Amino acid sequence: MSARKRKRCSKDIKCVFFPDDVNNRFLKADREPSSRSCVSSAKSWQNCGDSFLESPLIKNLKSSGRKLSHIRQLTQSKSLVQTSAIHRNEDAVNIAWSSSDSEQPDDETQNQQQRPKRPARPTALSQYHTREKDDLPVIDTDSDLDESEEDAEKDCGQQISDCESDDEKPETLPQNSPENVKEQEISDYMSDGETVTCTANSSRLDCESFLLQSGESSRRSVSDWVRSAQVMLQTPKKPLERQSKTPEDSAKKKRKFQSGGLAERLNRLQSRQRSAVSFWRHQSISETSTATVDRPGKLVLEVLEVQEECSMQLALCEHQRPPGEGHQHSDPLSEESARVLVLFNRETAAQLIPAPRDIIHIYPPWQSLSTEGFSCDIILNTYFSQKVYSASKLAVTSTPGGVLSAGRCRPYSLCKTFGLLEVGGLTEESSAAQVDTFGSSGVLTRHCPSLLEAIEALGQAGSVGQDVEVVVQRVYSVPVPESSSVSILKSKGPFRSSSAAPSAEKGRTRLCVLVQDSYGMFSEVQLHLLPCKDDLHQYIHMWEGRTCVLRGIKVVQRVTRERRCRLFSLIDSLWPPVMPLKDPGNTSNMSTECRPAGPAPSFCYLLSGQESSVEPSEEKTASPVYLPHTRQTLRDILQSGIKSRRCSFVATVLYKRTLQSSDVGQGEVWLVLTDPSLQEEQPERPCRRSVALCVNTSCVLTSSVLRALNSPAACRMSFRDAIVEHGVLLCAEMSVVEIYSVDPKGNLESSSARPESLSQSLSEPWAKTLPQPVRLDPLSPEITPNSLCSLSGVIVGVDESTAYSWPACNHCGSDNLEKSSETHQNFHCVSCKAVVDKPDMKIQLEVLLSSSLSNCTLKVKLQQNTIMSILNSAALEGTECLGYDVENVLGKEVGPIAAFVRVVTRKPALWIGLEEICLWGDRQDKSANDINPRASAGSTDLHTRPCSAQPPVSSAPLRRPP
Amino acid sequence: MYSFLPAVAEQLFKDIQKTYQETSQIPDDLLLALKFVFGSCALQALDLVDQRSVTCVSSPSGRKAFQVMGGSGRLYTCFMSCHFCPCPAFAHTVLRRNEGPLCKHILAVYLCQAMGVTQQESVSDQQMSMLLSGTEIL
Repeated sequence: MSARKRKRCSKDIKCVFFPDDVNNRFLKADREPSSRSCVSSAKSWQNCGDSFLESPLIKNLKSSGRKLSHIRQLTQSKSLVQTSAIHRNEDAVNIAWSSSDSEQPDDETQNQQQRPKRPARPTALSQYHTREKDDLPVIDTDSDLDESEEDAEKDCGQQISDCESDDEKPETLPQNSPENVKEQEISDYMSDGETVTCTANSSRLDCESFLLQSGESSRRSVSDWVRSAQVMLQTPKKPLERQSKTPEDSAKKKRKFQSGGLAERLNRLQSRQRSAVSFWRHQSISETSTATVDRPGKLVLEVLEVQEECSMQLALCEHQRPPGEGHQHSDPLSEESARVLVLFNRETAAQLIPAPRDIIHIYPPWQSLSTEGFSCDIILNTYFSQKVYSASKLAVTSTPGGVLSAGRCRPYSLCKTFGLLEVGGLTEESSAAQVDTFGSSGVLTRHCPSLLEAIEALGQAGSVGQDVEVVVQRVYSVPVPESSSVSILKSKGPFRSSSAAPSAEKGRTRLCVLVQDSYGMFSEVQLHLLPCKDDLHQYIHMWEGRTCVLRGIKVVQRVTRERRCRLFSLIDSLWPPVMPLKDPGNTSNMSTECRPAGPAPSFCYLLSGQESSVEPSEEKTASPVYLPHTRQTLRDILQSGIKSRRCSFVATVLYKRTLQSSDVGQGEVWLVLTDPSLQEEQPERPCRRSVALCVNTSCVLTSSVLRALNSPAACRMSFRDAIVEHGVLLCAEMSVVEIYSVDPKGNLESSSARPESLSQSLSEPWAKTLPQPVRLDPLSPEITPNSLCSLSGVIVGVDESTAYSWPACNHCGSDNLEKSSETHQNFHCVSCKAVVDKPDMKIQLEVLLSSSLSNCTLKVKLQQNTIMSILNSAALEGTECLGYDVENVLGKEVGPIAAFVRVVTRKPALWIGLEEICLWGDRQDKSANDINPRASAGSTDLHTRPCSAQPPVSSAPLRRPP
Repeated sequence: MYSFLPAVAEQLFKDIQKTYQETSQIPDDLLLALKFVFGSCALQALDLVDQRSVTCVSSPSGRKAFQVMGGSGRLYTCFMSCHFCPCPAFAHTVLRRNEGPLCKHILAVYLCQAMGVTQQESVSDQQMSMLLSGTEIL
């Protein structure tokens, strides 16, 4: 009842303060208590609040003084309440209240008896006009009143201090109390914001304010009330039916809210909620001193930080086990110990005054909202919140500004809209998801799937504006001409120089990728210069076979098959594609609209970009469009009969020869290769036992490959995308040579892109070991230059004009000797800085052989070992450079020796120029086992040097016998 | 201090949009959450949504704006790229006192967008320019 009194009281005050409003308001309240009237009154109150802030204190005191007296009057005289209620004569409600008042004496006893019925009570209270006397809650209030008047006054004061955290005594309150009451009312009106009848409205207000004030005297447990509140929230039908019993009520609602509309539903929900909240709040206040209720779903939170935002308070909290409740069971949330953000609306915040280190209980039904971008959930609907431990109780009560402890958040930027405003934003999102890329890629961003489309839509200065999604089929590097400091755009590709002049010295190389789009179109993208040639492997590993996005690329040139036959030989090796192609006419659906792969494209675009232009997709696996190298055996390659194509294989390098007098890697290199497939006997398919391969200057050899080629050890290498032309193998642009190792854990250089497992690689034919010694083809009339053969014959002649000898250091084998000044015969070795008293004598000798081949002149340049075995070593030692007789040499048998075919002249007669060589695979064996028994023990092996002629230090030509 | 309310609002709208697309309903708890975050605005905005009061006006030039028919029949023009409404509540509650994030008209725009019940209307470029500059008397 005290609440009711206060309510009236506040209205009275209002009448006093806003005389201009009074008529208006009461008329409206009686006639049409619409939301507008509420709002207008609220506005008045806000104006009032403003005026409080701005006007002198005296005025406030004066007005509030009157108010206080009103309160006292009202609280003290019950009859006044009744009369005022009757005087208002709004409806039967007041009668109900007063009539219940008359029953008051019995209520103390009834209170106990009625407890089981309590759950229904909140409903009854908010709907008291149904006149169900049993349910009227008045009983308690009246009993409260009976207990003491002081309580009411204290309550009043307490409420004020709750709202304003002002610890001033009730007598000094006047400034605050009217404002408090007013604000309470305003907020209630505001939150009502609806057209309920004035009676209903006021009744609710009554309930709330009554609950807020009559608090401590009630002795019911919170759980009781919470339960009842829950029942309120969970039984949607009942109140609706009851409401509909009041004709004017429903009529007004229908007029305002569309029937079945959202607003109507929310209105219903919130009126239910409000009642529940009111009851709960009332009880929670009364129960603050008693033990907290243990209910499932209750949040026990410690406040860490509080900020105010748009009149709401946002508290960063941490889940906590309540102290003294160690038995706290089955509370899943407390175990998460996660932080949550809790939002309190103005009313709750005003009551709760959350401050750091407070412990707050939040009872269900709260809501949890997980927001993108926030690690913690946000708790909404925190109406049922209760502070169980106040860390700053003293501080709050002693300092007047305690309420404002929450930092106020600056207003959010009005430019920051909350999404959804842009029309069609959603549809764009869903259409972006439709962009399918090869059916395999999970990239949902919008990339152009077609190279041609992207190139057609050229942007400024030849740059391709769109990102294009492609599959990197091949990664390779090309040498950059030293002189070409001009950009790649002007030089129109670095490839012209490759065939013209091998000026690609010093080895600056440019990284290139051959890419293919989902329509089958190819492009070569020329990227950045590689700081080191060996970086190529890293890029092969990163990119090859992956779906990548090209961005920031420029078009360099459109090339045709005729202009870049090498490039197209690589493209042809990738044709037809492994996957069905998309139909260019139908971009949307690729699964059904596939076209059979036609002939390979006849043109393609050369593009240029930077390292960042190629961005691999997230997927680590190779794209299904990727066509990896298929390794073939050399036999298969040689016998395939296709004129010109690309192939990949692993082979052992038997012999290396540079054509110019330069090191490997600078200029053309010839390698003679073999593999197990060539070595094995297949009488039905006879084939060469070795094959020559030319490494063009346009093929970049990495340092590890160069090292291996320059080392005396035999090496196996992997050749990728080598070209077979007219039975000759060629490594040119786009071919990649790597050291091949069967060790899967081994160095990166072993087939770095797709390392096979050990077992797999061992089962491959090229992983078999070569037979020892390596077999070579016997010399035949069909022999071609730059190939190897095994040769044996009888010396029939000696080319005296090319024969000479020179001394070499007997320690290190170097021929860089200086004559000592004192003695004529002594030398000084420049290389090993030693005195050479007994120099080895080196001899160059070319002989004519007669072999099994008839009508054929064979001229063979012999190696030192063979020469030594032929010549009489004793004679050599004894005569001391005096020369040898030709007769001693003629008729000697030579061979079988391995020989490299230098020249083949077929006209007028077959004439073959050969050079005896030392096979790499045999080299170790030869020195160890001394295959040629006649070789002198002191001879040194010079074969690591290039085998071309060396300038002799001194000449000691063979002498004819006198 | 970081402002959390916009993110909360945005998430609410997203949830409403998603749920409404799937079920053509807005469940009670979302309505209550709306009420909790936006206060009394929520009910009024929902009423505007019920009345289908929000229209998206577009002109051939590609400019767009929202028009919300208020309870009194007055048209309020709200913009797409920022929060502004010429209604008194916006001036008072949002701009002056910073007590709420939105007025009921803008909230109604968001809800209509989320539910896909925004009316569409085309106007001429001239009308649009008058509309946006506030010189049009409707």
